[in-house]
Amino acid sequence: MKSRLRLLFAVAVPVGLAIFLLALVFYQRDYPPTAVQANAKAALDRAARGGAARYAADDYNQAEEAFKKGSMALAYQNGRFALLRNYQEADTLLAGAMQLALKATDETQARIDSLDSLARNQIDDLERELALCREALDGTLTNFSAERYWATSELSLKAARLLIVKAEYEDAMGSIAKGKKALKQVVEAMAEAANHEKGNIAVWRTWVQDTLGESRANGSYAVIVDKSIHKAYLVNGGTVVRSYRCDLGWNSAEQKYFQGDGATPEGRYKVTVVKRASKYYRALLLNYPNDLDKRRFAENKHKGVISRYARIGALIEIHGGGGRDQDWTDGCIAFTNKDMDSIMKCVAAGTPVTIVRRSDRWP
Amino acid sequence: MIRTATIILAVIAMLVVVGCSKPPEQEMSGATQALDSAKMGEAPDYAPDAYRVAADTLNAAMALKREADAKFALFRSYGKSKAMFVRAQALANDAATKAQAEKERVRVEVADMLVQAKALLDSAEVDLKKAPRGKGSKADIELIKTDLAAATAQHAEAQMDFDGGKYKAAKAKLEAMTQKVRGVMDEIAKARGMKK
Repeated sequence: MKSRLRLLFAVAVPVGLAIFLLALVFYQRDYPPTAVQANAKAALDRAARGGAARYAADDYNQAEEAFKKGSMALAYQNGRFALLRNYQEADTLLAGAMQLALKATDETQARIDSLDSLARNQIDDLERELALCREALDGTLTNFSAERYWATSELSLKAARLLIVKAEYEDAMGSIAKGKKALKQVVEAMAEAANHEKGNIAVWRTWVQDTLGESRANGSYAVIVDKSIHKAYLVNGGTVVRSYRCDLGWNSAEQKYFQGDGATPEGRYKVTVVKRASKYYRALLLNYPNDLDKRRFAENKHKGVISRYARIGALIEIHGGGGRDQDWTDGCIAFTNKDMDSIMKCVAAGTPVTIVRRSDRWP
Repeated sequence: MIRTATIILAVIAMLVVVGCSKPPEQEMSGATQALDSAKMGEAPDYAPDAYRVAADTLNAAMALKREADAKFALFRSYGKSKAMFVRAQALANDAATKAQAEKERVRVEVADMLVQAKALLDSAEVDLKKAPRGKGSKADIELIKTDLAAATAQHAEAQMDFDGGKYKAAKAKLEAMTQKVRGVMDEIAKARGMKK
């Protein structure tokens, strides 16, 4: 009996102790924050896919760092004896990583939305400015240097639009900046042309007034051409009899410098020859180059403004074959054949023809 | 005698166990270097998925090693973490290779576009020389010249972006420029058609 009790005691105590210890381990152990880790990982992946490494780099990098530390802390505790495990630090780090990753995702989206909105607004601004410049350019004589800058600006706008579609906002903004710079050059080219006009407007006004004075004094006909509005006025005794639409040289925003430059000359001329038949229906030959033209040509050659091989040109006429509503001649002034008939009823050899870039105070 | 032998065997067994549980420092270093290399090779940009898998595998290997570090010396086993470091290194190398291949693909694509765009510009210049000349076309020709000059400048910018590794910016500029030049060539073709 005693021996049985002893045997029972010898088995029951260790078994009971073992059960007690197991129960202690089971109830006292700390659970690993695996769910928090999985959620933090998912949040980091989402942030990475959204571009957080680029648009919210600080928060994203901090989130990654916290996740690594939290994972290491978790792993360390996993290796310890069950009763000694404490996942508090791991839990805190991983939860922090998840919060930072979520913050990075929100920040990324906000940044992308902001960049997208900014880029699109800037593109719209550039498009508007381009359209305004286009309108201004179309309303003036063709300014080729301004046109070149406009073409550059338009190309930059096209590239910017393509970059926005690819979500390359920084490059899109760079392209927009280039477009705006080119547009500024358009405005500067137009301002330069306007300044040049301002500097010469007094001269043109004088030419117009002198021509009118001469017509008034002699009771004779004269022709005054305003290049800026493509109009020619037939005056008699200082009064406008009729006005005509005309086509000019293809480069008529300029004064004529040399043969082949496409500019209609500005100055006071006279009809020298009346041609009843011509390649362009009928024609009136002018005495270009006059003395002023010759002087200017010589000065420009001397200064190197034009090539020393340039020629001054000649054969500037008023002729028919016009009415094309575009500047197409090499410097001549073209009218419709019907208008040419009307002009030639009144104009003869010796009739003054005054050509100005702009006549702002007359008619 | 038997007792002494048993003790000696036990000590040897212990030493063997302890010896087998050396931390995989070499494998860890190899995997870390491979991932850094992949990052420098722009794998996050050009092979983001492969890079991410490699990075995750390295992190998991680090965690396994850390777990083993925490165990009592006699119970440590770095076998799993060692295998994972080796796998991480292979994945990092794979990401670097994929990134290189993708970068090269993009580079070749844009290089090809640059050549084609230049050829198109040259064709446009040739077409322009054949464009009908005479009264009525000079202004249009001059305007076409300004468009081609702008396109040529854009091509030069795209070349600079390409040389600087900014392939997406180069591509967008080339697409815009090509569109413009094709439009110009259509204009010239129309003018030649009308002349006939």
